[in-house]
Amino acid sequence: MSSLKELQDLIHEKYGIAASDLDPHASIREKGLDSLALVEFLFAVEDHFHISMPDADSNVDTLADLAVVVDRVRAAKTPA
Amino acid sequence: MNSVAVTGLGLATAHGDDPQAVFAALMRGESALRPVFADLPKPTVAATVAFDESRWFTKLQLAGVDRVSQLAVAAADLAMKDAKASGAVEPERIGVYVGCGMGGAASLELAYRNGSRVPPLTVPAFMPNAPAAHVAMRQRAQGPVLTYSVACASAAVAIAEAAKAVQCGEVDLAIAGGSEALIVPGVVLAWQALQTLATFQPGEAAHSVRPFSTDRTGFALGEGAAFLVLESAAHARRRGARTYAHLTGWGLSCDATHLTKPDVMGQARALRAALRRADLQPRDVDYCNAHGTATRIGDVIERDALAEVWGSHLDRLHVSSTKALHGHLLGAAGSLEAAITVLALCQRQMPPNAHCTEMDPACRLNLVTQAGTAAPELKAAISNSFAFGGTNAVLLFERA
Repeated sequence: MSSLKELQDLIHEKYGIAASDLDPHASIREKGLDSLALVEFLFAVEDHFHISMPDADSNVDTLADLAVVVDRVRAAKTPA
Repeated sequence: MNSVAVTGLGLATAHGDDPQAVFAALMRGESALRPVFADLPKPTVAATVAFDESRWFTKLQLAGVDRVSQLAVAAADLAMKDAKASGAVEPERIGVYVGCGMGGAASLELAYRNGSRVPPLTVPAFMPNAPAAHVAMRQRAQGPVLTYSVACASAAVAIAEAAKAVQCGEVDLAIAGGSEALIVPGVVLAWQALQTLATFQPGEAAHSVRPFSTDRTGFALGEGAAFLVLESAAHARRRGARTYAHLTGWGLSCDATHLTKPDVMGQARALRAALRRADLQPRDVDYCNAHGTATRIGDVIERDALAEVWGSHLDRLHVSSTKALHGHLLGAAGSLEAAITVLALCQRQMPPNAHCTEMDPACRLNLVTQAGTAAPELKAAISNSFAFGGTNAVLLFERA
């Protein structure tokens, strides 16, 4: 299960940044998501996946990093 | 003393964002008031802005930016473009002076309504100085960037403070005005609870605000932003800027008597201070854009204050409250009405005091009763803003 595609859709819907415009391994900060926008985006991610993001992961810098964290949180939530 | 020139106007209002078109609509007596929030227990009326934020912001830039800041950024940008001042002044020589009564009301309301999921950018969205900060970032203004929260006098105070800064040379250019966006159910309910909003029969929403009329019942809330670009006349001349009018007088006073009840002598002190600074006599002033909120008590007090200062010359002062048409913009009222006053001087026309079918004898004034009233002799005009808290602000403009 990878959340990357859903994250790409979410960032497109919310900020109008198309998946083709955002390399999953490039810094999202460099795409104009400053610290404030990133905080807001993480809030939307929580809403979308019905999860609670661990605070320690606020230093994620790429969409691929973020997908790994979201995957881990979702996996932990799913009963084995 | 350095004369202060108004070289740019920018509006984001219920009547649109083109100053000449807004003024023309007001001259025709067009009301922007409409019923809002049909699901509230008591119907209410308000003037809202048909605002396309995508003209000024990408979706990404909108993160944590409340509507009150969006309107401010738009109106301030239009004012700077109108003044052709973008890039014309050193960033640290530009000041931003913004009136705002309540900050980002919609963001705060959303925080309450969203249950325990409070959006993380609620605080930077609703803080009252956010509009000024966003204007500063957009215009790259690195001088004093200040917010004045003085209820209904906020924007008039901001303009007066900006004029002082221009006059004493603290800044070369000031972006001065106000923004307010609080047409949300919680705020409407709060104003209703205070018994200050106009009541109306079905179908009469547009005419529900009737300043100085015997049958007046209060005001309607309006949203919007309005900014003026101010600079010294010498600075304006040097860079070849067009001058709309000169801001030659301003008067600030406080009643210091009661939190919400207006006071004749307090208002009279501000009126006299504005005249004194402009070195004019009451008879020199032709038009007054009144505070005129159409409350039972407020209109009578304002009339008495004008009578106190104008004395036997009261009849030659033409008066209208344009709040009947654009609503009460609270923290932005002073700058929208200042812009209207400036446009009146430029066009030599006076907007009507709409919806006053029968003047209250206790409000006996020379009201502008007709739409489209020409005033070829119009040379000087004042704009009044009187606030809860007792602060009174009067701005005096003279034809360029």
